Amino acid sequence: MSSDPDAGAPVAGAVDDDAPAAAPTSAAATGTLTNPRRVRHRARVRSLRGLLMASPPLLLIAAFTGFPIVLAIAYSLGHTGGLNSTTALIAQHQHVKTEWWGTLGAYREVLTNERFQRDLRVTLLVTVVSTTVVLALALIIALYLRLAGGWAAKALTVVSVVPMFIPVVIASWAVLMFYAPDGFLRSLFAQVGLEGPTFGYTVTAIIIAQVWCSLPFAVLMCASGVQAVPDALIDAARDSGAGLVRTTFSVILPMAFVPIVIAATFTAIGIIGSFTVPYFTGPTAPTMLGVDMANYFTAYNRPQQSIVMAVVVFVAASLIAVTYVWANFRSSKESGA
Amino acid sequence: MTTGLQLEGLHKELGGRTIVENLSLDVATGELVCLLGPSGCGKTTTLRMIAGFLEPESGRVVVAGHDVTSLPPEKRPSAMVFQNYALWPHMTVTKNVAFPLRLAKRPRAEIAERVAKVLELVNLTHHKDSRPGRISGGEQQRTALARALVQEPAVLLLDEPLSNLDAKLRVRVREDIREIQQRLGITTVMVTHDQDEAMAMADRIAVMNDGRIEQVSSPQELYSDPQTEFVATFVGSLNKVEGRLEPHGLTPEAGLTSAIRPEAVAVVPASSDGALDAEVVRVTPHGHFAEVKVKTLGEVELVSFVTGPPPAEGDQVGVRLGEVWRFRDGKRVR
Ligand SMILES: Nc1ncnc2c1ncn2[C@@H]1O[C@H](COP(=O)(O)OP(=O)(O)O)[C@@H](O)[C@H]1O
Ligand SMILES: [Mg+2]
Repeated sequence: MSSDPDAGAPVAGAVDDDAPAAAPTSAAATGTLTNPRRVRHRARVRSLRGLLMASPPLLLIAAFTGFPIVLAIAYSLGHTGGLNSTTALIAQHQHVKTEWWGTLGAYREVLTNERFQRDLRVTLLVTVVSTTVVLALALIIALYLRLAGGWAAKALTVVSVVPMFIPVVIASWAVLMFYAPDGFLRSLFAQVGLEGPTFGYTVTAIIIAQVWCSLPFAVLMCASGVQAVPDALIDAARDSGAGLVRTTFSVILPMAFVPIVIAATFTAIGIIGSFTVPYFTGPTAPTMLGVDMANYFTAYNRPQQSIVMAVVVFVAASLIAVTYVWANFRSSKESGA
Repeated sequence: MTTGLQLEGLHKELGGRTIVENLSLDVATGELVCLLGPSGCGKTTTLRMIAGFLEPESGRVVVAGHDVTSLPPEKRPSAMVFQNYALWPHMTVTKNVAFPLRLAKRPRAEIAERVAKVLELVNLTHHKDSRPGRISGGEQQRTALARALVQEPAVLLLDEPLSNLDAKLRVRVREDIREIQQRLGITTVMVTHDQDEAMAMADRIAVMNDGRIEQVSSPQELYSDPQTEFVATFVGSLNKVEGRLEPHGLTPEAGLTSAIRPEAVAVVPASSDGALDAEVVRVTPHGHFAEVKVKTLGEVELVSFVTGPPPAEGDQVGVRLGEVWRFRDGKRVR
């Protein structure tokens, strides 16, 4: 859906290109001098026309995403009438608005709920730990490929991208089977008479599965970022007396900064709102908020509380997204273009 | 004088092909030697072996008496200026230049002082806080030079340092580099495919062809006394004639090539004493001189440089031949 506004842009650009080509001809034909007010007016008309061209996809997004979001937030504030009335009719434990703007009752209930607080902590923990591990692994693979090269590095990169082609449900199931109390790992340990670890249905299993699922994108992103650093810049660092470690930290990583931040933010946002992985591999409690939201919505029939959790996750994801925007801004300022 | 840099029998293969073959070269301390040769002859490969980026299959690199053959680039006392400058875009000019000193863990005050001094030397003080992306090609080139010089290297390596500058700037920058190099007395190896550049800057020139050094001489000697047919052809212009060319005629001789520089071919009035009869085939004016092609001894075409009023095409003239070189199997013979 996010590609819709992009698809609209070239169309708008085409209109822009036509307008200035036509303008000088008409000005020359009538012999009038260029009037700055008319130029400004024409520019405004042109940008308006561009907006018009881009508006169908924007309207679609507004109708099918923006509007439901507004409705949901209104519902979380206790506006149970109008288009929310169907949901409100069967929902349980609702907080109905007390002021003209609504009520914070649902927010107060959820945010003070100990189970929610615990699951929020777990969600953030899993996100931070998984993202860190994913980024570390991806960078090690990318740097190994960049600095050592050879068939072993290429093979490692290919293998690390394989999870991309395996559906998350299957991968989660596989991770669970591997680490379950009666799973492959413990069977293997048992063969030699040892007691193996049980990760199945633990937070550790969630993290392992998250890392497995998120690694391909991060590897591709980091590898291409690191690969884009020209050989000569690495050679120049070594010629200046930098060993491999120093070259990595002073030249390669700073130059691949934006792709690395993109990998980190996208990974973190993907994990923070995930459902499938914690649902399959994790314990019943504590669990991640994605699972809680599903439970509140369907099993407990408390959509209002579910929406409140979604708002909290959305705020957290927005904070991560700010990092991404900041990195892009910084890099465009730095390149001096 | 001690030897600043010795290359002993360097041999390098890449992609199953011999790129540099048994290459030996001595560079005196403070001397500037140019590696001159056509593109692809192995100049950069040789330079990268000196810097430590490539390990030779055999042979040694000795800097000021120390064998550095097995050292990685970061441990070698050489500094290189890369063809595309290789400045780090995320660091300012000052940070780029200071980087080698920071790696060497020099005290902060010393770094500041040395960086300021070298930036002044290359005339870049006004750009010290700019990023490489914001300064011109010439300024980037000087930043790269400053980054190399600040290390006070035992050997300075320059890979086609002027090839990315426009023609006018090139002449000025090559004078600047030469001046700085001589002032600091820094042992330098410079790679170029441009003979004018090599002639203008080098104390000695090593002409490379196909991975081997053909001749190492002063620029003057290289021009006036080439030892191989390749050197004679690559440096300056040359008339080549199959057989034994002599001032009074041409004798056929299998496998022998005669060669004469255009300056050694004098166009004189017809039937002058000791001159061969000739006909002017083409005249190409070059401003302060004209390139005159004449036909003599039947089908032999020779080019001469004529200053002063040139003859017209079709004129009957005489030519007097100066020094003629002869080559057999590419080697100079009597
Ligand atoms: N890594 C490499 N693998 C295979 N061949 C190479 C490699 N690097 C350079 N060559 C080849 O070696 C030859 C000499 O290259 P180079 O030293 O860069 O030439 P020059 O600097 O004189 O133009 C070229 O034919 C080039 O294709
Ligand atoms: Mg080269």
